[in-house]
Amino acid sequence: MTAEIRQFLLESLTEMKYDTDGFGDDTVLGPAGIDMESLALAELAMRVEDQYGVRFDADEAETFAAMTVGEFCAAVAQRVRTTSAT
Amino acid sequence: MSTGVAVTGIGLVSPVGTAVDEVFDAVCAGRSGLVRPPEGHALHGVVDVAAFSPAVDAASVIPAKEARVVDRSIVMAVRAAGDALADAGIEVGRDVDPYRVAVVVSGVGGLATLADQAVERSRRGRLGVSPFMLPGVLPNMAAARIAIKFGVRGYSSSVGTACAAGGQSIGEATRILRSGEADVVVCGCTEAPLFPTFADAFGNALALARGWADPTTASRPFDRRRNGLVLGEAAGVLVLERPGFARARGATVHADVLGWGATSDAYHPTTPRPDGSSAAESMRIALRDAGLSTGDVGYLNAHGTGTKAGDAAEAAAIRDVYGDAMPPVSSTKGVTGHLLGASGAIEAAIGVVALRRGLLPPTHNLDDPDPACDLNHVLEQPAAAAVDAVMSNSFGFGGHNVSVILGRANG
Repeated sequence: MTAEIRQFLLESLTEMKYDTDGFGDDTVLGPAGIDMESLALAELAMRVEDQYGVRFDADEAETFAAMTVGEFCAAVAQRVRTTSAT
Repeated sequence: MSTGVAVTGIGLVSPVGTAVDEVFDAVCAGRSGLVRPPEGHALHGVVDVAAFSPAVDAASVIPAKEARVVDRSIVMAVRAAGDALADAGIEVGRDVDPYRVAVVVSGVGGLATLADQAVERSRRGRLGVSPFMLPGVLPNMAAARIAIKFGVRGYSSSVGTACAAGGQSIGEATRILRSGEADVVVCGCTEAPLFPTFADAFGNALALARGWADPTTASRPFDRRRNGLVLGEAAGVLVLERPGFARARGATVHADVLGWGATSDAYHPTTPRPDGSSAAESMRIALRDAGLSTGDVGYLNAHGTGTKAGDAAEAAAIRDVYGDAMPPVSSTKGVTGHLLGASGAIEAAIGVVALRRGLLPPTHNLDDPDPACDLNHVLEQPAAAAVDAVMSNSFGFGGHNVSVILGRANG
């Protein structure tokens, strides 16, 4: 699941015109890494919702900037599992 | 009478070119920008004729990450502003304090992008609406994007006066410079109205030219057979400076803005006051502001959109103001189409070149002047005439009237 989410994230970032060269699990999504800003993170949350049917509220989406790629994929996978189980 | 301000930079994106002399040559030679919308374009089959500007790659002027949901009007404005600043030889921060530079760049905003997003909202619900939509469509965002791109940190705004907005932006910029609030103002207007909803609104209001087999003949200002305007897209940006500031930095001054005037019709949302009295007063205010008499104006670039009511009202206003001292008059919209708010900026640029070259563009397609529009028309060919001052009129829905007077550069 996490690998699939990672691929989805890579494709999303490419569509959103972000440079994913050197992209790795330890890369931070926000300013210290991929440099996604607030609107881009909001769009990423929408893309996740559209793809996986899970929703992150505004407060949660704001935490994406500090996450690494690995942490983000794990968080999405966890949300998908939780949602599927309910 | 107030002091003039210097025009030191011009940047254009228009249906007849992107270089100011290219645009001027086109309106003089009748090289029309009016075409049938091509197959595949959203306007194909929606309108008979439109005036398209060259494509501008959004990512060439706005970071690619932010350029996916940015309206064409904003993209064109940033390109034109960059060209205008380059023409002026100004790098903000190097040549001028960023806080002493202002931006007044206007337009109705990104309505085409808003319409696209509305379609996506209907199709996909909430998830169809991009978080990037607001900075991509708001009418202040052309000014804001210019400030961001070029590091302008002074006053910035946009004026919402429809088809008068280009002229009014030049006027507001003049006011700011005269007040001493800024040394440099980047001003103008940008419009990208070529999408079906907007075109249908004009069409359903019976405002569009229709029934012309040759699209280049559809825009016919002041002609007896005129039957509406031709929608066009464009951006026009001028760099204005306090004359002392321009002189001190050794700038090339293209022309001076000598004065301007603005009035309201107080009559109807879309129909001009038929007697043209408020439009006439905007011209009189501009003359007083410039300290000129009617005989000092050597050329008048009319608003002249090709609508029955608008052209007749403007002609009445011009006759009322100038009487026997009427200068040669033309509307360059016969070639460019109606560029909405951007018209005032594009036509001011045309006025600058007319002053420099001593050449007055004709009104293209004015084959049979309407007696209701009895003016001192420049017909068929450009007229050679050394002129010291040019008036440019811009009138907008809502009854906004603006007149700007440009003069030969005093250096």
